[in-house]
Amino acid sequence: MASTDSAATDFSDDLPAAIAAEERHAPAGTGPWRIALRRLRRNKVALAFGVLFLLLVAVSLAAPIWANEVAHTTPYQNRIADTITIDGEERNIVAFDGVPIGPTWHGEYFLGADRNGRDVMVRLLYGGRNSLLIGIGASIITMVFATLLGLLSGFFGGWLDWIISRCFDVMWAFPVILLGVALGVSLNISGITIGPLSLKSGSLWIPTVIIGIAYVVYLARPIRGQVLALREKEFVEAARAQGMGPWRIMLTELLPNLASTLLVFFPLIVANAILLEAALSFLGAGVQPPEPSWGLMISEGIEFLTSAPHLTIAPGIMLVLTVLALNIFGEGVRDALDPRAKIRLEH
Amino acid sequence: MSTIRRALLALMLVAASAFLVAACGDDDNGGSTTGGGSTGAATDAATEGGQAGGTLTGYYTSSPDYMDPALTYTVEGWNAQWVVYTPLLTYRHTEGAEGAELIPGLAEDLPEISEDGLTYKLKLRDGLKFSDGTPVKASDFEHTIKRVLNLESGGSAFYLPIVGAEDYLKAGKPNADIEGIETNDETGEITIHLSERIGSFDYVLAMNFAGIVPGDTPFRNMTRNPPPGVGPYKITRSVPNRGFTLEKVPEFADYGIQDVPTGNVDKIDITIVKNQQRQTDDVINNKVDYLIDPPPADRLREVQDKAEGRFEPYVTNSTYYVFMNTREKPFDDERVRQAVNFAIDKRAMQRIFGGLLAPSCNFLPPGMKGYQKIEPCPYGDPTQEPDLEKARQLIQEAGAEGAEVTVWGNDEDPSKPVTEYVADVMNQIGLNAKPRIVEASVYFQTIGNQKTKAQAGFANWFQDFPHPANFMFLINGASIQETNNQNFGNVDDPEINDLIDGADKNTDLDAAAADYAEADRLAVERAYIAPYGNRQLTKLVSDRVAWDSVVAHPVYEVDFSLLQLK
Repeated sequence: MASTDSAATDFSDDLPAAIAAEERHAPAGTGPWRIALRRLRRNKVALAFGVLFLLLVAVSLAAPIWANEVAHTTPYQNRIADTITIDGEERNIVAFDGVPIGPTWHGEYFLGADRNGRDVMVRLLYGGRNSLLIGIGASIITMVFATLLGLLSGFFGGWLDWIISRCFDVMWAFPVILLGVALGVSLNISGITIGPLSLKSGSLWIPTVIIGIAYVVYLARPIRGQVLALREKEFVEAARAQGMGPWRIMLTELLPNLASTLLVFFPLIVANAILLEAALSFLGAGVQPPEPSWGLMISEGIEFLTSAPHLTIAPGIMLVLTVLALNIFGEGVRDALDPRAKIRLEH
Repeated sequence: MSTIRRALLALMLVAASAFLVAACGDDDNGGSTTGGGSTGAATDAATEGGQAGGTLTGYYTSSPDYMDPALTYTVEGWNAQWVVYTPLLTYRHTEGAEGAELIPGLAEDLPEISEDGLTYKLKLRDGLKFSDGTPVKASDFEHTIKRVLNLESGGSAFYLPIVGAEDYLKAGKPNADIEGIETNDETGEITIHLSERIGSFDYVLAMNFAGIVPGDTPFRNMTRNPPPGVGPYKITRSVPNRGFTLEKVPEFADYGIQDVPTGNVDKIDITIVKNQQRQTDDVINNKVDYLIDPPPADRLREVQDKAEGRFEPYVTNSTYYVFMNTREKPFDDERVRQAVNFAIDKRAMQRIFGGLLAPSCNFLPPGMKGYQKIEPCPYGDPTQEPDLEKARQLIQEAGAEGAEVTVWGNDEDPSKPVTEYVADVMNQIGLNAKPRIVEASVYFQTIGNQKTKAQAGFANWFQDFPHPANFMFLINGASIQETNNQNFGNVDDPEINDLIDGADKNTDLDAAAADYAEADRLAVERAYIAPYGNRQLTKLVSDRVAWDSVVAHPVYEVDFSLLQLK
């Protein structure tokens, strides 16, 4: 008979009474993932923010539709000296003193223009695509490298562990933002070519790779710690006894046990990556013009904070909503998959 | 990191925007100096409603780079020190082209120049004393130039044509003699020998670097303890990044130097305030009397309303242009360069500059001798809509459709929006352009390195001294260098080179002006550059200041020695 006790769920060894009781009362045959999903479903706040995030993704993906069908422009088109007619009144897109038009709440310039006469709404949506692309892309890079290094370091130990750990120490010594700015500024001048890999200056891959690498150490260390604990477990001993090689043990025995950790970290890392991308773009070391990004839009808007606050507020709100949605949803996932973590945090 | 902390971090990024707009200064002058166009004239006599005496307060956004005449090379430094260190030659203290006229400063008269243009003879006025009472000697001039060279000042290159200057520099011995400078402390005679004929050398003698300091001034940066000078004011306080104080030197009036004002206010207190919003608020509300920098772009409309009668923009001797590298495709084809000139909308540029740009067709600025308005402009009226159709047609004729172009710019305002705009315009006429923004501190070195092969980009120039030679070297083939090249477009047209070289050697600027004007016209017609305007700065003072006494000098900005309080 299947059991739902803590030993079977893989991630609820010394659970508090309430959660342990919940798991004991689960119907027979209920797997740990199903229990986690049920916990997540019960967390309405996390679900609401998860839906909000999906909505933001959908809206960003719809950028070309809005640009072509509604705004009739591109995110790059400068219309500084042009005029538009709003409710029968002809208005300058950018005034003679350089102040851009505010929100029109019509198809064209729905959220106003920037100082180059570009449609803020269109740039906001395309900026969202870029921010999400970089955030998710960088997180995948982080997950892959952190998992690989954490596994190698934790499982083999010895000199390999020592080298990898010292490399982590070095990376940890650099503040992420400083590392990002240094790499971003230098790579954006002339790009980089390493063997078959070539990144042209201005490419979105540059901030993606930089952010992805910058966060590796933050994930690799906890993974290494978990691998150090797992490799002493009986099931790993059993696998060894069956003659499994180290790579097979890592792939088939350890990796599945790391899945919940990776799943918990993923949305949180995406949120941090989006935030770092915005910060780097704000400082000129992330997404390069004319490509839009929320951080870049905020940076471009600061000159007009009093006369055209929409330039800063619109991308600021999008950034806050996205990061908030990912964080709250991410914490919901963590609570569902690893309730002990929450208890530790609360204490 | 908790959810709340991460959300707060996101909010902080937005908040940082608000903070930065308040904290960041606006400085696009690249460390060079500016000049002014004509908006009126002033004299050192008491102006209407003004009176001598009192303390004038002001704000600078950036501290002067040095409070030492041998070293300072910024608007702030020159603005502050012109009234402290008078050179042998100086400029008339008025606005516009008249303010670019050379007059004797500490010298009795303008220099006597030999026929071959290689020898300059001057004589020091009698009875001059530094502000600390030390008598001024002719040999102090040589010491002044030695300091400029020895301290490797940004201005040292201007004095290298003096015979023996390069040897002095190489020897590395501060007290060694400069062969080409002869002085006689008894008679006050100063003779300068040049190794080559330089028509603008008398303007070099009028630069702030040549502001005379005592012969025992140490060979080191004296910012914290500025040396005495000869001028209507002396520096009595200098705290880097905090501010400085100038106090009137009453004895200066005894020297009776014609056309050099003796100062009106007793004391000038300048504070460094980075926050330009606060600067603007304080001058509007009469808490401070003077600002050197224009108000932030988004406050201009408000300032015009609230500071009526004490606010006025003026055109500087500067040129903003797009360089196009004639050595790189597609700009090796004149038709492509002309197409860019046809396509740039100078009205749009004006708006990018917040209205503080005077659209222009010429490369030389209007306040400069040699300027002759190119009329009609071959690319249409700069104040009207551009001819995009003509531009597209030229691109097609040149077979340059789809040609890849990188447009270079830096991350300072207004370079970034200008670069993005130019790239978009190039795309509109059929090129395939992308902007590339690099950090301002390395921008000019990057595009000035031939290895970069920069195709096109943002460029500007503010005069060092009001002589067309100081602009035209930017399009002279002789100035092309492998690194630190300032002829970004590698313009090397024999006809233009000959005109500039000939004019540069002429010590009579009036006679040389026509050649400069012709070189300017040819450069524009052959589309070696795409000039689009001249920067405007602003005069903004409090109600306490007599408006007629606010004179924007073409080299040194608002003239402290003329300012009066009501």
